[in-house]
Amino acid sequence: MTTLFTKIKWSILAAVTVGLGTVPVWGSDYAMLFFMLFCIYLALAQMWNLLAGYSGLISLGQQSFVGMGGYTVAVLSSYYGINIWLAAGLGGLTSVLLALFMSLFIFRMKGVYFTIGTWIFAEALLVWFSNWAYVKYGSGLFIKPPNDITMEAIYYAAFLLGVGSVALVYLLLRSRLGLGLMAMRDDDQVSETLGVEVFRSKLYCFLISAFVTGMTAGVFFVFQIFIQPYKAFSIDWTVKLVFMVIIGGIGTIEGPVVGALIYVLLSQFLAEYFSVSMLVLGGIAITVILVAPKGIMGTLQEKLGFEILSPRRF
Amino acid sequence: MSAGTAIQVDGINVYYNDFHALWDISLEVDRGEVVSIIGSNGSGKSTLLNTLAGQLNPKTGGISYFGESIGGLPPHETVARGMSLVPEGRRVFPRLTVFENLFMGSYIPRSRKNREKSLDNVYELFPRLKERHSQMANTLSGGEQQMLAIGRALMSEPKVLLCDEISLGLAPIIIKGIYQKIKQINELGLTIILVEQDITRSLKAADRAYVMLEGKVVLEGKPADLTEDKVKNAYFGI
Amino acid sequence: MEGLAQDILNGLLLGGLYAVVAIGLSTIFGIVKLVNLAHGDLMILSSYLSLFMVSALGVSPLLTLVAVMPVMFAVGYILQRFLLNRVLGKEMEPPLLVAFGVSIIIQNFMLMAFTPDARSLMSSLSLMTFSMGPNLSVPVLYLIDFVIALAVIIGQHYFLQSTYMGRGIRAASDDKYAAQLMGVNTKNTYAIAMGIAIMTAGVAGVLVGMTFTFYPHSGPQYLIIAFGVVVIGGLGSMKGTFAGGLILALAQILGARVFGPGYQLLCGYVVLLIVLAVRPQGIFGRG
Repeated sequence: MTTLFTKIKWSILAAVTVGLGTVPVWGSDYAMLFFMLFCIYLALAQMWNLLAGYSGLISLGQQSFVGMGGYTVAVLSSYYGINIWLAAGLGGLTSVLLALFMSLFIFRMKGVYFTIGTWIFAEALLVWFSNWAYVKYGSGLFIKPPNDITMEAIYYAAFLLGVGSVALVYLLLRSRLGLGLMAMRDDDQVSETLGVEVFRSKLYCFLISAFVTGMTAGVFFVFQIFIQPYKAFSIDWTVKLVFMVIIGGIGTIEGPVVGALIYVLLSQFLAEYFSVSMLVLGGIAITVILVAPKGIMGTLQEKLGFEILSPRRF
Repeated sequence: MSAGTAIQVDGINVYYNDFHALWDISLEVDRGEVVSIIGSNGSGKSTLLNTLAGQLNPKTGGISYFGESIGGLPPHETVARGMSLVPEGRRVFPRLTVFENLFMGSYIPRSRKNREKSLDNVYELFPRLKERHSQMANTLSGGEQQMLAIGRALMSEPKVLLCDEISLGLAPIIIKGIYQKIKQINELGLTIILVEQDITRSLKAADRAYVMLEGKVVLEGKPADLTEDKVKNAYFGI
Repeated sequence: MEGLAQDILNGLLLGGLYAVVAIGLSTIFGIVKLVNLAHGDLMILSSYLSLFMVSALGVSPLLTLVAVMPVMFAVGYILQRFLLNRVLGKEMEPPLLVAFGVSIIIQNFMLMAFTPDARSLMSSLSLMTFSMGPNLSVPVLYLIDFVIALAVIIGQHYFLQSTYMGRGIRAASDDKYAAQLMGVNTKNTYAIAMGIAIMTAGVAGVLVGMTFTFYPHSGPQYLIIAFGVVVIGGLGSMKGTFAGGLILALAQILGARVFGPGYQLLCGYVVLLIVLAVRPQGIFGRG
């Protein structure tokens, strides 16, 4: 890696980030919508990738935190008139608490049992919320911000979360925790003997992912204005994230970026044919796993040594 | 290659993904011979046996078995042709009984009809197995599991028996007993290839021996011609 | 305590149905070490298949089993042989994710082909009951479900224990390489095992369709039931699968009785989570 290459790399990244951050200024309403969704999904996908690609935790239950974050915002804003952005942050907090509770059960489980455990928790939450008078059962809740929220404001929030999630993962992986994670990824038991606290590292990542997912969902539902259990806690959320990360490249920082972009593009093209889009997505994901299991960015990395955001130290 | 050749290996190169495990290996085993392949860990001897059995395929070079080229065949086809492997670490089916393990040995259609007879032969060779015929394989001792693994390999009525480190982890007196059985099996007409780390034991049992080091054959000959020093040097690469 | 005996009876009979829903998942998980996330969807696929035949040919749903079973066997065989076999390896993730992908594809295919409307294979059988005492009536359909489930599970158990192919399957699951050395073509064997598993799912699908309404997205809830049965009862044990089914069904029915019908599923989930946390290998499972 020559320093010239590195300089070019970072300048391009900076330019892209600035471009993304100023969409409300130069872009149409449609562009704002497009990139807002991109940022939201980017944040969610980064978190799933943090778990599955770096911590060895395949979660099929991210929707637990999506629903939790969304409902926190709905309840706090509609019932108590709390500032919407604060509510979103609190959505992250309640999600962490939920994750902590979940961990009491599912962190005793290994491998596929853990995975199914995450899913079952989400289904249980779905049933719970559908039967809860406080949140108006399955009919759902409206999100009523106490003050008028502009589309620009929502965009900037999404942008911060999207870019922030990438930065968060990058910094995390460069930290001591991150080195431990990458060692664990290769060999659980050996890294334990070297002092890596496997359990704690995994738990931290789980909690962090819950926090960001909850907060991001909070912002998303501010945009959606309405929340219902069967949508908020639906496995569909995880389905999309899984496919995004697999196609983009699991275990790479750039993977979720590419995956989220592809997904938002695809869903816009096939907006009217939801089933077809899911079918296509599923088909592409399976093909990717068979043919290039590391996804787009992963394969590029492997074949060409091409890494934009590398967590490696030299 | 003469009419009496059972196995001929010609210049094979075998890879584990990118790792070059066997370099240009050539060797010959005649019908009815006991051939030993000696080497330390990592010398490639197990890789060689696994390649003969068909789990690995040579990238270049050929393997012929009684005149037939078998280089790219999968394991279930080599065993159908009469080459049976007693794998390293025994690898009996832990949750099946002794009987069921032996039953599995005669899985190939060719051997199914003679299953009863083969079973009698194995029980005669290894009376201990008969005693324990309804016990689960994972309750047997190390020596008994080794006997079971050998007996299981014999159930497919092989012409060639490949034995991968059958003395591993066993007490000397047990090893002695097992090697006696190997001799008996050879006297019944089977060709045997023994892979071992124990130099003395395998030289004693063999008609001919090869010494391997780092994936190459470095010495070969009859045990009488191989002095202790020669073998040790080859073994350690001095 | 009114109706408690009835609830318990219903729970026991329903447990049989749950057991046959689960047996396929259990088989594959135990043998190929793969969790087939598409199990529930394949089951519902067979429900739709049966529905199609009933409307096209006007036969009773039970009769469609004759065709459904071989078709589902073929589906399972092809799925394993040409898709899943390729991703089986050391890592757990690829097969799980491929199965996930298959699940989504099947669900959306059914959604497009059959619309999201509720369907069912219910017939006059569904309403028949006979009484076994003053407060106890036995729903005939539940009884049929239970009997067929019993037959399927015992049949499969016999197959795995006593036939050449069955022994080959068990050997391949114990030690794939050693089985290959015995002449077992493990690619084929795994595919046959999956064929059997999906065939049983096919039977379960017809029974479920006759007993409850179903939608294209019903698959996952049955997957969770199947998983619950496997976790509670333990892998690889016929008794375990039955026990798991009974316990789960009872938990659901009794839970609904105590907390209300909306909480039926939740009670099942809670029991499942507790067992997962406390004794993951299941009640009859081998540690």
